[in-house]
Amino acid sequence: MTIVSGHVAASHQAPPTRASLLKQMWVSRTDYLYVLPAIAVMLIVIAYPIYYTIDLSFFKTPPGLQLRDKIFVGWDNYTAILSSEVFWKVTLNTVIWTLSSTIIAFILGFAAALALHRDFLGRGVLRAILIIPWVISAVAASYIWKWIYHSDFGIIGAILVQLGLASRPPNFIDNINSVLPSLIVVNIWREFPFAMIMLMAGLQTVPDQLLRAAQVDGASTWQRFWHVTFPHLSGVSTVTILLLAVSNFNSFIIPWIMTGGGPSNASHIWITHIYELAFGRQRWGVASAYSVLLFLILMTLGYFYVRALSGNDRRGPS
Amino acid sequence: MTSLKLGAAVLRGAVVSAFLASALSTTALAAPPVDLSKWSPEYVRSIAGTEDFDTAAECGKVTPLDYKGDLTFWYQGVFEGDPDLLRQYYKDFFETFRKTYPNINLKEQALTYNDLLDKFRTALTANAGPMVVRLQILGGVEFASKGYLQELKPEDVGWSTEDFWPGAMKSVTWEGKTYGVPTNNETMALIWNADIFKRAGLDPDKPPATWDDVVAYSKQIHDKLGIAGYGLVARVNAGNTPYRFMPQLWGYGGGVFDEADPNPTYSEIRLNSAASKRALQASYDMYVRDKSVPVSALTNQQADNQPLFVSGQLGMMISHPSDYNVMKDLQKKATGDDVAKAQTVIDNMRYGLIPTGPDGRRAVVFGGSNMHILKPEYVDGGKVDLPAAKAIICFWTSPEWSLKMAYAGSNPGNLNGFKTKWMKERLDNIKFLDVTTSMLPYGVPFPALPQTPEIMNHIIPDMLQNALTGAMTVDQAAEDAAKKVKEVAGGGGL
Amino acid sequence: MATTHNAKRRARRVDGWRWAGRIFLLFMLLYTAVPMIWMLITSFKSGFAAMAFPPEWWPKEPTLASYQKLLDPQNSVGQDFLHFFWNSLFVSTVTTILSVIVAVPAAYAFSRFSFPGRNFLFFSVLLRNMFPAVIFLVPLFILMRLLGLINTPGSLILTYMTFGLPLAIWLLKGFYDNIPIQLEQAARIDGATRFQAFVTIVMPLSVPGIIATAIYSFIGAWNEYIYAYTFLNKNDQLTLPIGIQRFFSENTTDFPGLMAASFMMSVPVVVLFLVLQRYFVRALTEGAVKH
Repeated sequence: MTIVSGHVAASHQAPPTRASLLKQMWVSRTDYLYVLPAIAVMLIVIAYPIYYTIDLSFFKTPPGLQLRDKIFVGWDNYTAILSSEVFWKVTLNTVIWTLSSTIIAFILGFAAALALHRDFLGRGVLRAILIIPWVISAVAASYIWKWIYHSDFGIIGAILVQLGLASRPPNFIDNINSVLPSLIVVNIWREFPFAMIMLMAGLQTVPDQLLRAAQVDGASTWQRFWHVTFPHLSGVSTVTILLLAVSNFNSFIIPWIMTGGGPSNASHIWITHIYELAFGRQRWGVASAYSVLLFLILMTLGYFYVRALSGNDRRGPS
Repeated sequence: MTSLKLGAAVLRGAVVSAFLASALSTTALAAPPVDLSKWSPEYVRSIAGTEDFDTAAECGKVTPLDYKGDLTFWYQGVFEGDPDLLRQYYKDFFETFRKTYPNINLKEQALTYNDLLDKFRTALTANAGPMVVRLQILGGVEFASKGYLQELKPEDVGWSTEDFWPGAMKSVTWEGKTYGVPTNNETMALIWNADIFKRAGLDPDKPPATWDDVVAYSKQIHDKLGIAGYGLVARVNAGNTPYRFMPQLWGYGGGVFDEADPNPTYSEIRLNSAASKRALQASYDMYVRDKSVPVSALTNQQADNQPLFVSGQLGMMISHPSDYNVMKDLQKKATGDDVAKAQTVIDNMRYGLIPTGPDGRRAVVFGGSNMHILKPEYVDGGKVDLPAAKAIICFWTSPEWSLKMAYAGSNPGNLNGFKTKWMKERLDNIKFLDVTTSMLPYGVPFPALPQTPEIMNHIIPDMLQNALTGAMTVDQAAEDAAKKVKEVAGGGGL
Repeated sequence: MATTHNAKRRARRVDGWRWAGRIFLLFMLLYTAVPMIWMLITSFKSGFAAMAFPPEWWPKEPTLASYQKLLDPQNSVGQDFLHFFWNSLFVSTVTTILSVIVAVPAAYAFSRFSFPGRNFLFFSVLLRNMFPAVIFLVPLFILMRLLGLINTPGSLILTYMTFGLPLAIWLLKGFYDNIPIQLEQAARIDGATRFQAFVTIVMPLSVPGIIATAIYSFIGAWNEYIYAYTFLNKNDQLTLPIGIQRFFSENTTDFPGLMAASFMMSVPVVVLFLVLQRYFVRALTEGAVKH
């Protein structure tokens, strides 16, 4: 069945033809076969859970009753969440966590990409070493850093004490003020290589002629960077920052394994808090409502994500 | 041990009254196989090795030995931190069961203490549970109240209700019906390092008598020697935390409800009483004011105390007699100088009763495990092979095996276990066993309510963490916890 | 004269930046490598030595005991560990293969075809990327039970595919966008069907993209924790991250053992990545950047 119409000029978004929608769908039915497996998998694994979660969010689940005997409470779960102090504390934690991890990982990755852009002896090896944290399992990373941060046996504490800078090992993860920054350091450790790779790839597309021209015109290194390189990378940067933000927003393993959200909720972010509510404290209804709130926020972020990507699509190489 | 000899008479008196109190709250007892009113280390020794039991014969009466069936079973397994000899017994159990019932196709699954509840709950939401489960004593009531468990009493598996501790039977009772059979029960004791005590200027043979003494001793050890005094643990969602804090809470006269009273009704919340706040204050004093406990206490479990103790960096902790064996195992893995260090610790290890509160009140968590059978609709596969289930329950709760499976850290749930010859052997091999068994009468079971897991595993540790990190004052933390206990029964709130 | 002066000034300034770059790289190298080095050092110590304070910078008596224990098939610990390793390998490999099989045609379709709903479908596939695992745990568990996949690698494979698909499709689509359509059109004029053109012309050219997809899938599946924790109970089904956690969660925190296990868990993915990294970088370059 060779149908020629409608399949030319494929790498750009073809405008909808004037034929009716159904006719179009029929005409392209073999196309759907290409995407069918992917869509089927996604539907199964996504549609049912979303429905289930939204439904459950209007019920409460007391410890004495089975899940199927849940009690309808309407919007109570939502109001309970929005009016609870813990929720706002966790929200603040999540914002700090996501923003700090994303921005700092991006900056570090960018700087590393710049520093590695010029070829020098050992560049390949160095680049390989710098990428490793991203590849290591988050579980392994969590245990390694937990050991490093240990309040009694960690090496950072040991070094500081030996150098005489502190009388006792500093408390990283057992202190409500320092726990979140300590975890962020670990997250950045794992995330910056991703930014580095993306930006290294992007740097390769910056046209040399422009840079040389700027140099001849007397631009300093910084000016060359700021006026030529950086604007050229705006597309990649946007995508990278968005991907990092999404990934950080969803990161579960590091806070969960290292501190379980403690001490005293100081390192809970939305994801870990939902998990504890659902699986630890059996508050299925409340956890579902919490999840729905998260959906809505992510949808909003998603809108910008998609706009940036499709904007990127349309823009193409400048 | 010397302190026990001195106080034996007093002990017996206290035991009798404690026991009569708990006995009164259960239905009329026929004569139990051992005389609980005489409970003392000497009595325990005297009844050991006085009777023999043939497990296969007894269980053969419940389920014929050639019965053909299928069985799935989940239990809390033995892992790295458990002594080797306990691991051997677990292996023996399954081997012997399979030899005795060669036609029962058994599929067993071991899970860690902290994982077991989580996984069991998750499985039940999808009707994918095992037929039989052995749960910690804290857990059963939740599932009984939700209607997941079948009715089950000791008579169904060939024993009798009187063969088990009254406190244990309470933990498997919900709304007047019984839903399980106890496998083992234990109470913990205070462990201290006599050498550290001596070097810190304390009497090496005298444990702290009250919790206030614990605070003081801990401070002295820390000030003098620079190491941690008491092994405080305050980790969230870890069983060790409530097991070590509740004795403190009850000792001061506090409690979550009135669970430490002889006839608890669980209607009044006492977590924010003055006595409870005093108990919390003691922990605060140790962690914040004196800094005499490990800084990592907020994320520590007992397993984190063990290496500290065996390397001589911890003065006291609360735990099971099995910790003595764990210390010996840890020493076997040590090398070089560490071997000698560990030996010093092991030679100086002492066990004593859990400290009392300022009013002389002594309490400890009545711990243990129970086995339950699920209703078929919640089981993976949709049916329960009842005779096979009864066979394995009969086996594990028999005098012989309830003792062997509780060899190192616990005690047989089946009181007849104390009469077997292996009990005699235990008393000779397991050092300090008589101390922990003598704590049994002071055991207070956790409230038999479905919300107890959340209270013990989350609300209590949260309260500790809130107070110890300074996020809330001691007062606020206790009030906050009391409020949460009130909400938890309703199932709402964050 | 002015130019040489400027040139000298520029040369010094450039040197300044270059030195800053070097110092920065040194810092990053330390930041990255020191934790891993410390992990290795700890794995060579005995249990007690690991808890000495102040810690031994280099073990007085280095020992391979932890590694031997984990890799010894006679030892129960070793048996379990090797089993977990195998499970992880199996799940990751199958996930990767299936992901590629599903993603390649989908990416091609999104790139070449224009059918109604194309954009909507494309972006909804990407949106999946945004939703955190936790939200779906219980419903997915119930779903897996309905499908009879609990405690089987199948539950993980199905779930992991949905993680990898969005980025895989996006990467590959970018790749296909950059393959000139004239090549296929030439083949079609010669009489090949659209499908034949796809298989014989386009796919070989997109091999770097496919390799990148494969790497990403494999690493994602290898390191995944939360779903494996929820869906798997039986000891013989556990993958590495869960198996390791189970070893060390309840009991004596055997830090050297934990570090040794973490190291060995990381080795395959690191090696895989190092060997194939240029494909990955190339794919990102061509696939993502030049959209």
